[in-house]
Amino acid sequence: MIAISHCSKSYPSQNGEPAIPVLAGLDLTINDREFVCVLGPSGCGKTTLLRLLAGLVLPDAGELTIDGRPITGPSPECGLVFQDFALLPWADVLANVAFGLEVRSVPPAERRARAQALVDAVGLAGFERHYPRQLSGGMQQRVGLARALAVDPAILLMDEPFGSLDSQTRRALQEDLLRLHHQNRKTVVFVTHSVDEAVRLGDRIVLLSARPARVEEIIEVGLPRPRPDDLGTSPRFVGTKEYLWKRLKRQAAAGTGANVI
Amino acid sequence: MPGGRTASRRSGSGAMTRRVVTRTAWRVASLAVLLGLWELAGRTVDTLLLPTASATVGALWHLAGTREFWSALWISHQAVVIGFPAAAVLAIPAGLALGRWTALDRWLDVHLSMLLVTPKSAIMPLIVMALGLGLMARGVTVFAFAFPVMVATTRAGLRDIDGRLLEMARAFGATELHVWRRILLPGTLPAVATAVRLGLAQAIAGLVAVELLLVAVGLGHLILTFQADFDAASVYAVVCVVAAEAALLIRVATLAERRIGAWRGDAVHT
Amino acid sequence: MSSDAATIASTEPAGTPGGATGQDWRPRAASLLGALVIWECAARLLASPVLPPASAVLAALIAMTASGEILGNLAISLGALTIGYAAAAVVGVGVGAAMGRFRPVEVILEPYLNALLASPALIYVPVLFTLFGATRLTQVGAVFLHTVFVITVTTQAGVRNTSPALVEMAAAFGATERQIFWKIRLPEAWPFVMTGLRIGVPLAVKGMVNGEMFIAFMGLGALVQTYGGRFEPDRVLAILVVLILVALAGTSLLDAVDRRIRRPA
Repeated sequence: MIAISHCSKSYPSQNGEPAIPVLAGLDLTINDREFVCVLGPSGCGKTTLLRLLAGLVLPDAGELTIDGRPITGPSPECGLVFQDFALLPWADVLANVAFGLEVRSVPPAERRARAQALVDAVGLAGFERHYPRQLSGGMQQRVGLARALAVDPAILLMDEPFGSLDSQTRRALQEDLLRLHHQNRKTVVFVTHSVDEAVRLGDRIVLLSARPARVEEIIEVGLPRPRPDDLGTSPRFVGTKEYLWKRLKRQAAAGTGANVI
Repeated sequence: MPGGRTASRRSGSGAMTRRVVTRTAWRVASLAVLLGLWELAGRTVDTLLLPTASATVGALWHLAGTREFWSALWISHQAVVIGFPAAAVLAIPAGLALGRWTALDRWLDVHLSMLLVTPKSAIMPLIVMALGLGLMARGVTVFAFAFPVMVATTRAGLRDIDGRLLEMARAFGATELHVWRRILLPGTLPAVATAVRLGLAQAIAGLVAVELLLVAVGLGHLILTFQADFDAASVYAVVCVVAAEAALLIRVATLAERRIGAWRGDAVHT
Repeated sequence: MSSDAATIASTEPAGTPGGATGQDWRPRAASLLGALVIWECAARLLASPVLPPASAVLAALIAMTASGEILGNLAISLGALTIGYAAAAVVGVGVGAAMGRFRPVEVILEPYLNALLASPALIYVPVLFTLFGATRLTQVGAVFLHTVFVITVTTQAGVRNTSPALVEMAAAFGATERQIFWKIRLPEAWPFVMTGLRIGVPLAVKGMVNGEMFIAFMGLGALVQTYGGRFEPDRVLAILVVLILVALAGTSLLDAVDRRIRRPA
């Protein structure tokens, strides 16, 4: 279980200007095996929240804990998927997927086997020897996903992973993610600014306010898993989306100085 | 359909060959024109100043038969063989260190900048004062010429590595050793290849400088002797040899560089 | 060759683009000062004939300035430097632009440019000497040859770099070739051209020194040879300081010119 209490974070700004507060007194609890989508206007601090959970930065105030233990740095319990893929351009697909395993000193034979299994699971069988520049965006992100899953983390942290993909590829990857999640439920914290994506994927949606961010509202999605084929037209799906849209528009109209959607 | 496809593929490769042929034709033609003009100029102007192309070729031919020429070549190359690898062995790790540890770089950057800007030729008298006129001094000169540019290029290559990759590695719990093995070293390798190429060019420049300006041995000595004898054709011949060798070595280095940087995809175009 | 231009640019002394910011100069100045102190102490301790302390170099500099040696030779050197550099800039930008713009020109000239870039410019100075003797022309030629090839290749990269999409857009709006040149090709190429010109300054200084050391007649390079031969390292180092300052001054001047040109109309 992930617990965030009274978390605040500011980014020091250069040139003597005051620091920019990004998160202010944020409280949130995420239960095991939950798929939580973090939604909010652009620039509201969603990525910062994820980086705090990943242990890449420390909070200015407040506490973040995993199962009661405070987060002091990157931990093997978390696997990270990046928006811009962050693949090693000089390594092939298999080596990229095996990266986390190598870092954890898993012996080569086991590394290769686990990496291969995941390459197959994300649908890239046959591309093991390819280099990132030879792959499309969608394929590259599959590698990113495989890499994060290879270390078998309890928690998956995903930072707008499909944000730089075209809408068709995006849908395909969303379905793949749902399928993988159904096979092996992990705790997922999924940052996005797409309302459609949030409702499609999540069990709960955390709506953040504009900067400095707090939790505005938490919405229970309540759609069945596995997601039915007619999800797109289901009244609850459409209704939830509409509701979220209105909330976001109201946030923007309230004009707290954050970006308009 | 299949017939159409093979037809277009055939004409595709045909167009490619045609392009290469045209390109070579243009180059050969322009070279011929250039040599022709040179020959003409040589014949009309006083040959003491401007030897003809044919005279230069003749001098080159004659030179290749003398013992002096080959021993000069040998002497000159010794300095490069000593100075350049030494410079590479020290400069590349230095560049990596400066690129990785910005605290170190903040202190040393200004000195590197000054070194890059300094005319190394003017340092040569100091080297000779300290080490005399022998091979050691020449080797150190070559070292001094090649060292700064290799440091700077390597450093730039390391800085060029996407910071997101380093963050990714941190997120996965990579140690410093891992980061070097899997990210920094493979990522900087193309830049190191470039550094070697640029360093080699500078090493040759250093060699030429020390032999023409300070310690007349080897090829520099040959040039100066021919100059004193008013043997312009032989001067030109030796100049051509040096220029050609430099061009050849750098060309080889460039090809190696392209090979090494293959994973970049974008990188070294013609 | 565009990667060459990029590589050349990356080795350019840092901190100078756009001038040092407020943050930049403090650690640099501190580092220089620290180095000077270390130099002074080490030189005094070692008492080596080859490494005079910084104070001795300063004294030599003052003495030579007072005697007029420095200024006299500097004037001579700067003359050849400015003419050679200006010629290299004009020819380099012109030829580089032609190469970047017109494929046939590029095809023909590229092998020569590559060979010339690879070979040390100093090797051609004996050729100049056989043609023109120990004259100003040889001197200017030395500066020219050291500088022109880099300026050519960076300009070529810049002009070649023009985004075809923008050119197409302009053409669609009915722009003439001349308008396209001034409004799109030139502004897009400008940073590259500027980089080449900036790097050209220390190269020109090197060419100037090489040429002068070769002819060993007059100018700062000749002075280096003289004092080198007399085993006076403090004087040699003093002249070196002057040379470095000349290079830095030239680069700063160019930066100032660049800022002026780029100031929004």
